[in-house]
Amino acid sequence: MSYLALDQVVKRFGAHTVIDGVSLAAEQGEFVVFVGPSGCGKSTLLRLVAGLEEVSAGDVHIAGRCVTDVDPAARGVAMVFQSYALYPHMSVRQNMAFGMRMARAPKPEIERRITEAARILQIENLLDRRPRELSGGQRQRVAIGRAIVRDPKIFLFDEPLSNLDAELRGQMRIEIARLHRTFGATMVYVTHDQVEAMTLADRIVVLRAGRVEQIGSPAQLYDSPANTFVAGFIGSPRMNFLTGRVAGLEDDAVRIEHPAVGGVLRVPRRAARAIEVNAPVTIGLRPEHLTLAEAPARLALAGDFAENLGATSQLYAQAPTGETLTIQVPGRESVARGEALQVGFDPARVHLFDAGGQAI
Amino acid sequence: MRRPLGRGLHGLGLLLTLVFALFPFYWMVSSSFKAQADLLASPPVWLFRPTLDHYAAIWADQKVTTAVVNSLVVASLTTLLAVVLGTPAAYALARFEFRGKADLWFWFISNRMISPIVLALPVYLLARQAGLLDTYLVLVLIYLTFTLPIVVWICTDQFRAIPPDLEQAARLDGARQFDVFWRIYLPLGAPGIAVSAIFSFIFSWNELLYALVLTRRDVQTAPVVATSFMSGYELPWGKIMATGTLIVLPVTIFALLVSRHMIRGLTMGATK
Repeated sequence: MSYLALDQVVKRFGAHTVIDGVSLAAEQGEFVVFVGPSGCGKSTLLRLVAGLEEVSAGDVHIAGRCVTDVDPAARGVAMVFQSYALYPHMSVRQNMAFGMRMARAPKPEIERRITEAARILQIENLLDRRPRELSGGQRQRVAIGRAIVRDPKIFLFDEPLSNLDAELRGQMRIEIARLHRTFGATMVYVTHDQVEAMTLADRIVVLRAGRVEQIGSPAQLYDSPANTFVAGFIGSPRMNFLTGRVAGLEDDAVRIEHPAVGGVLRVPRRAARAIEVNAPVTIGLRPEHLTLAEAPARLALAGDFAENLGATSQLYAQAPTGETLTIQVPGRESVARGEALQVGFDPARVHLFDAGGQAI
Repeated sequence: MRRPLGRGLHGLGLLLTLVFALFPFYWMVSSSFKAQADLLASPPVWLFRPTLDHYAAIWADQKVTTAVVNSLVVASLTTLLAVVLGTPAAYALARFEFRGKADLWFWFISNRMISPIVLALPVYLLARQAGLLDTYLVLVLIYLTFTLPIVVWICTDQFRAIPPDLEQAARLDGARQFDVFWRIYLPLGAPGIAVSAIFSFIFSWNELLYALVLTRRDVQTAPVVATSFMSGYELPWGKIMATGTLIVLPVTIFALLVSRHMIRGLTMGATK
């Protein structure tokens, strides 16, 4: 059995189902990220793993043991909260020692672990300060330190970086990745930020409305999204979607029609899902896969405006059918409103989805 | 033009309120230093030669010193019990959902709405039946009926303001329910607990009606003794005023010292 396994886990609050039959597994040492929009149930799922919420149905297994009815403290997990949840009336040292004191660990052992964790996180000089005397980044380190000291089987992170400014968030992200490498511990991390998910995760679990939309490595989710939701959620800027029609079918390709394509386009199939001729189809194109240079296929669009990001530019243009597309190009391109744009792309990079939003 | 006028009226209003509130206090304190002749003078004398005779008289009166000790014992015991019983109740109300919670909460608040005089006679009969008249216990019990709600009210609000994440972090750290209360909520709720304890003490210290009804001789409190001077054939205004000043002064000084905290306590829950 996997190190962390969720088996058909359901969580209801009254009549409202927040987690709807989620099953997933993580191996020892794996970094798993739960990602999804606000209210998708990702934090609730983490709290079910921690034992801070009771499951309504299903089971949670940690290290081969069913912990569904086990007290949070006895599950061998440590959690880093979004709010840090440091005890304000205790010093950093007391905060880090609290869990071990509760477990009645011998004092020298507590001191040894605190010293070690403080060294790793470079917070040795902060040990006698109170949380209110620390900056956001320092508090975050202490919160992580408190988790490390407990030597847990699984580290749980609940949107730990969302209270930090952009620069610090970037630094801490790297630090968490480094910690994962150092400890080789199993980590479960909740975020709504897909950049954090893509950079940190060994595996990403995309959630929507309490259900798993797709589980896979960052590359798998990026290259082969299972549906339009995952396709739109993973990748920045967001994937462009056009609604076309199936003009014909081949063994390993679909021929599609859209006014912007100017005829019929042959797109290699990515999934074996059945589709019929004349059925509506959603055409997904990532902004970074569109180009102003020569390419095997072209879209005829009308320019709208450009955003200059320094190294790259984002151009916005409209298809004849009214959809607005984003095109990410290197350099500092500009575009006039209404200017005719010929945008190139590789048909092999096109994603197709059926009327239900599933990849075909 | 309107601004200075508005400010002037505002100041005048404040002055009138201050005079209204403080004049009785001034009259009591100044009267306690007046000789008997000045006390009874009509029209009243504003400038007089102060005397400590009345203080010497009440200091020599064992009834007064015993009453001050009684007041101290009753107010301290009441405050201690109100905090010991009220803080766990406040924790439960702040953090747990249980059947009847809303009704209990309403009860805690609503029993401040009942005028004590309505209950004086039934309480007297109950206390007599139970053989508790003229004991510390009956005063402490009856004072708890209004100090306990104050503690529960203020502390519930204080505990609600403590982020639930802290409790969850502590549970993950292996803290049991009591540890969470003892090690997290009590220290973090200390300002609210202190404020509610101060209020409990002041209310118990100042209470007159029940003390008058439920005590005879042994455990008479200071306010009761002060009013007891009024019985008989003379009105020893000097002694009454000196005793009154002695009762009010420590609490007033204390209240001024902690007024910042008290205002915070009073506005707790007023804003979120």
